[in-house]
Amino acid sequence: MKQQTLIETAPYRALCRLEIGHICSALRSSLVLLLIFSAAFLLTAQEAEAAKTIKVAVAGPFTGSVAAFGEMIKKGAQLRAKEINGNGGINSKELELIFEDDTGKDKEASLVATRIASNKKILAVVGHFNSSCSLAGKPIYKRNRIVELSPGSTNVNVCKGSDYTFRNLYRDDFQGSFSAKYIKGVLTDVKTVAVFFDNDDYGRGLRDSFKQSAEKAGLAIVADEAYDRDTTDYKAQLTKIKSASPDLIFIAGLYSQAGLILSQARESGITAQFFGADGVDSPKLLEIAGEAANGIYITTPFIFGLEGNEEAQRVAIAFEQEFGKAPDTWAALTYDAVGMIVEAIEKRGESRKAIRDHLGSLTSPEKGYQGITGLTYFDENGDCLKPAYVKQVVNGKFVAAKVQFLD
Amino acid sequence: MTLFLEQIVNGLVLGGIYALIAVGYTMVYGVIQLINFAHGEIFMFGAYFTFLCLAVLKFPLWLAVLASILLCALMGVVIDLIAYRPLRNAPRLSALITAIGISLILQNLARMIWGAEPRRDLANAKSAFLSQTVIIPGGAQLSYLDLSIIILAILLMVGLNRLISLTRIGKAMRACAQDKMAASLMGIDTNRVIGATFAIGSALGAVAGIMVGMRETIEPTMGYYKGVAAFAAAVLGGIGNITGAMLGGVVLGIAEVLGAGYISSGYRVAISYILMILVIVFRPAGLLGRASAKRA
Repeated sequence: MKQQTLIETAPYRALCRLEIGHICSALRSSLVLLLIFSAAFLLTAQEAEAAKTIKVAVAGPFTGSVAAFGEMIKKGAQLRAKEINGNGGINSKELELIFEDDTGKDKEASLVATRIASNKKILAVVGHFNSSCSLAGKPIYKRNRIVELSPGSTNVNVCKGSDYTFRNLYRDDFQGSFSAKYIKGVLTDVKTVAVFFDNDDYGRGLRDSFKQSAEKAGLAIVADEAYDRDTTDYKAQLTKIKSASPDLIFIAGLYSQAGLILSQARESGITAQFFGADGVDSPKLLEIAGEAANGIYITTPFIFGLEGNEEAQRVAIAFEQEFGKAPDTWAALTYDAVGMIVEAIEKRGESRKAIRDHLGSLTSPEKGYQGITGLTYFDENGDCLKPAYVKQVVNGKFVAAKVQFLD
Repeated sequence: MTLFLEQIVNGLVLGGIYALIAVGYTMVYGVIQLINFAHGEIFMFGAYFTFLCLAVLKFPLWLAVLASILLCALMGVVIDLIAYRPLRNAPRLSALITAIGISLILQNLARMIWGAEPRRDLANAKSAFLSQTVIIPGGAQLSYLDLSIIILAILLMVGLNRLISLTRIGKAMRACAQDKMAASLMGIDTNRVIGATFAIGSALGAVAGIMVGMRETIEPTMGYYKGVAAFAAAVLGGIGNITGAMLGGVVLGIAEVLGAGYISSGYRVAISYILMILVIVFRPAGLLGRASAKRA
């Protein structure tokens, strides 16, 4: 009891002992507070003014070891936004893109996702690119009821279990079995196959589906090796693959590692045919691998320069005029993804829910969205059925493979 | 058999690189008991400096390599001067945290200047001779670059060993490692000796960086991944012991390669760290380290 009174009286005593210095410092701190409040007020005033724009986030690997993908994603989105704003914007409001860098790593992606989801002014997310990143963001976007539309994630599980995650390209089970069928049907000399995969969600998923279909198609899997994305020396695994002497090596990974794998394989005396999936589809592959890239086949969701797609030609020319380089598959898919979000806002209204409802209603080819990369519509998961194309590196350039499988 | 031999050769190349970096960690630790986490970044800068000399200053390759090694030696000395010397008598933890800070600063500096993209400029700049392959007795195939990495690593290690055991500065280093206070009482300028230690360690790290740049890619994070592995090698061999660091590097390189080749490539990195942990459990001072009384 006695103690309590002591505590209660302590502030009073301190008050009695107030000196001039204390008063001064109190004044000073209130002045600081005043400044902070007025700054905050100014900021909110500015924000209120900026609400005349419609904000859409674009999340991707803008730095890090797969930054070449991020660069194309950014430019594809910028081009689309420029065209939309040039035509009077969305409901005469300006479309504002907010770029968030996930560096291609899942940990960073969940931070980015939280940052985006908690900003109520952002209506939708175009991204992420890496499957691991889309998977990391999925629960956060679902909780906050904001659409995540990926222009690059192909892992089978990306869209499952969330009504808010969509993608506008095929899944790895399709890509894996497509690759196996293509190898069986077109590269008829190939009897034995080695798989070399990146030990992450994308690499493992693709390797599983490819292996399954390849075995079903009657190809013998003679080696199955993993690599870690942070290592740059693959000689140990390549030596093992070489000793199994496969006719073809299937790389389930991304371009920077694949480029090194190609050149180290040629150094180790491996002469097998290489086959990669969309993860290696970047002009940077040619830079890193140099001559060693020649001959590799790559499956991809889209190829510029196919006959009969005039809209894609127009976009390719506009892209080149704007940025001084040719667009790639990812720029095209992002260009379409931004277009889909904008169409949703125009048709259903400016809210997170409206965008989700619109994308959720695109359930059949008739209702689908016609973009430069083809027709996009979703199944009950939010996955989409789109064809795969094959390209090949010939004399240091990507060209469409002579035989395409489109059925 | 050929397969095994090829894997051993792969392991030796990797081990040689680890050993060259590990020596830098262990030398600095031996003299001032500091784990210089910025060493991995000096290794990375070794590659970038060479690239810079080639691309911007248009040096011929040999001059670019030489300039880069000298620049890195200088960089090591300057880091010591700015960051560690003021903390010489501070608690060890302060210097350790400073080292981590310097490492982060340098890594992000490289990212700012050159971008995060992996570059192949050094690999493309190496002479055509180095990319040719040779088949050694036993049937293993390796490039001249890999062969020269092994040979160069051995030569540099032997040279370093001679330097430490035969020259005046080597003797001074050993004296400082034994007891810095006593050494300074004997008239040894300890700051100069520490500077020389940083210079030699950094120069060897730069050599490794240039090799890796020619063999693989250069990127701002290369120093981190290779640096951690090399640090593990130094611990494995017994930190503070130069021969131990060389041995640790080779053991770790071969373990990593054999682990990937014969156990599971998915656990390639894990296997080498498990090996390190096992060694530490049974020989806390490392393979060649002496279990010494705690230093003052």
